Amino acid sequence: MKLFKGKVKKALIIGIDGVPYSLLSTYLQKDLMPNLKMILSQGLTLHQMNASIPDISSVSWTSFNTGVNPGEHGIYGFTDLKPNSYSLCFPNSKDIKAPTFWEILGKTNQKTSTLSQKYYNKIIHPYRSVIFNVPHTYPALPMNGILVSGFVAIDLKKATFPDSTYTYLHSMNYLIDVEAEKAKEDKMEFMKSLFECFEIRKKAISHFFAGEPWDLFFACITETDRLHHFFFDASSDKENPYYESFLRFYVELDKFIKYLYEQFVERYSEKGFFMILSDHGFAPVKKEVYINKFLEEKGLLVLKKEGNFYERVENKTKAFNLDPCRIYIHGKDAYPRGTVREEEKTDLLEEIKKILRTLKGENGDEVIDKIFEKEDIYHGPHTRMAPDLVCLPKDGYDLKGSLEKKEIFGYNVFKGMHTWHDAFCILPSNISFSKKPSVEELTDYIIQYYSQ
Amino acid sequence: MDHLTRLENKSIYIIREAYYQFKDIAMLWSVGKDSTTLLWLCRKAFFGHIPFPIIHIDTSYKFPEMYQFRDTRAKEWNLNLLIGRNEEKLKEGMGPGQGSKLDCCNELKTNALKSVIKKYHLKAILLGIRRDEHGIRAKERYFSPRDSQFKWDYENQPAELWDQYQSMVEEEEHFRIHPILHFAEFDIWNYVKREELPIIPLYFSKNGKRFRSIGCVPCCSPIDSNAQTIDEIVEEIRISKTSERSGRAQDKENIYTMQKLRALGYM
Repeated sequence: MKLFKGKVKKALIIGIDGVPYSLLSTYLQKDLMPNLKMILSQGLTLHQMNASIPDISSVSWTSFNTGVNPGEHGIYGFTDLKPNSYSLCFPNSKDIKAPTFWEILGKTNQKTSTLSQKYYNKIIHPYRSVIFNVPHTYPALPMNGILVSGFVAIDLKKATFPDSTYTYLHSMNYLIDVEAEKAKEDKMEFMKSLFECFEIRKKAISHFFAGEPWDLFFACITETDRLHHFFFDASSDKENPYYESFLRFYVELDKFIKYLYEQFVERYSEKGFFMILSDHGFAPVKKEVYINKFLEEKGLLVLKKEGNFYERVENKTKAFNLDPCRIYIHGKDAYPRGTVREEEKTDLLEEIKKILRTLKGENGDEVIDKIFEKEDIYHGPHTRMAPDLVCLPKDGYDLKGSLEKKEIFGYNVFKGMHTWHDAFCILPSNISFSKKPSVEELTDYIIQYYSQ
Repeated sequence: MDHLTRLENKSIYIIREAYYQFKDIAMLWSVGKDSTTLLWLCRKAFFGHIPFPIIHIDTSYKFPEMYQFRDTRAKEWNLNLLIGRNEEKLKEGMGPGQGSKLDCCNELKTNALKSVIKKYHLKAILLGIRRDEHGIRAKERYFSPRDSQFKWDYENQPAELWDQYQSMVEEEEHFRIHPILHFAEFDIWNYVKREELPIIPLYFSKNGKRFRSIGCVPCCSPIDSNAQTIDEIVEEIRISKTSERSGRAQDKENIYTMQKLRALGYM
């Protein structure tokens, strides 16, 4: 006898970190990903999508996970300053102010958001999820199902819920992440480790996919982001020594998507909800741009010689930048040595915007593409910690928050940079958009599916 | 009763109670000021002769002064000293320069302690941690139910004390007992002064610098200070506004997070 009558609802979501719409389209056209092409012909549509602002994995995935903008979920980057201080801190899953969709579906959410309110009382019975390797879910918080945190997870024990998950992952020598710090020393070896890490990831995902009961399965592949950071120049350059390896990774990825998709369809036929997405795009890096050095040269930022990171900010400072380009006004009310008064802020913001637009590359080309004021893009109860300005660059100029650079422009080992405008999503074709979607808009469709 | 005597009584009570409950007990001695204070309290609790072993976890990266201090005192106080070293990892070259600092601490401290506990079948460990010394330790008090209970009904309900400790059992199967949890840094120095406790010279100023907290050489840096006597240290701490462990490398997790982020071009 079935205790619960009603339609079976199953969803499979695959996250692929940092895969750009444009590259995916090219590879599909060139028949490099035949399986994905086949899947797309079965009632699914590929869309270009905007990432969160800033286009950083922690912010973008949190926006997707919660279905709200940073003003509501409170995550603006991998780093922040502690309130009324200059000490750097690293926000984690505990700092997220809005419930995730698996908390809403699992009926375990202790917080509320506009999204959870919308579906208040519409989720009849709790759904069990497996959430695997999604960035910014560390430490793993108790939920209805299984959770394995992704980047930046440090301790596997704290990265897993419940404990039995740890036991299994530990026993199979699971890797949370590749050691990106090794890429500088030996690129060839690093490329190899990307494949190895992907193998382990696939094995672990398959284990939970096949062996656990779930209503929703969401797994992220994060090796793609690392691949792009260090090898994006190889994505379409046949002469590049890593071209073959780069393509081989996509072929492997294509096979794995097929494996999951076929298993899913076999079990739940077409009734299930299937979706693939990335959290941001990627583009080749021409140059890194150190915004703090620029602010320093313009007299807006004054740094002491000694001290760690932002502790060096002197009282003459008007503004400073946190990765990638989150500009904060050094307000009198907000920082111990802050001097900018509330009434001066509007003029100062205009001045900074003007100055930023003068930032030009070698050929006189513009570096900054878009500048947003806090109020333009962030809405909700947690905008107090939001940056006053956020800039998005033209593709090729990777904006950075470093305080230690001697020049405004520079080079690093990285071959790829994040882009805001070129993320992608693959959704059932009955979902259509009147304008280009943003990552946080997708979440609503997931919950909607379960509430019907 | 004065403040320090009250603190001392509390600690001695816990030490004796712990020994009464567990015969397979040992004390962890890092040779720093806090655990040396704890050692002193243990001696007092048992009238000079400590009836259980004293463990020193040796990462091999400690200051030479610390080894010297350890060996002199162990002899003088007739301690049953057990040294815990992760020989295997040390042979492999594990150190703060190799791999992450988190791995280094994990292997040379945590795992070394784990194997000592296993080897000697220990059921309980006395530790010299203090509530005020570190953000995480202060935080635990507020966010974990075990610490809100740990906040000491024990004076009224000694029988339930151990049940409350039960909730503190971590992955290792042993009890952790913190007899000087209620001491503040300021209390420690006042107590060191009152008891004329011997203390490692690293804590005193040399060329305008002194260590406020000591551990492994590569992960400790001295603070600016001219305090050359205990009185001067007490005065310095009284007016100090920086944290005790500011000279220590940051939280292990933070260091690792930073490393991970830097490897991908952040910060």
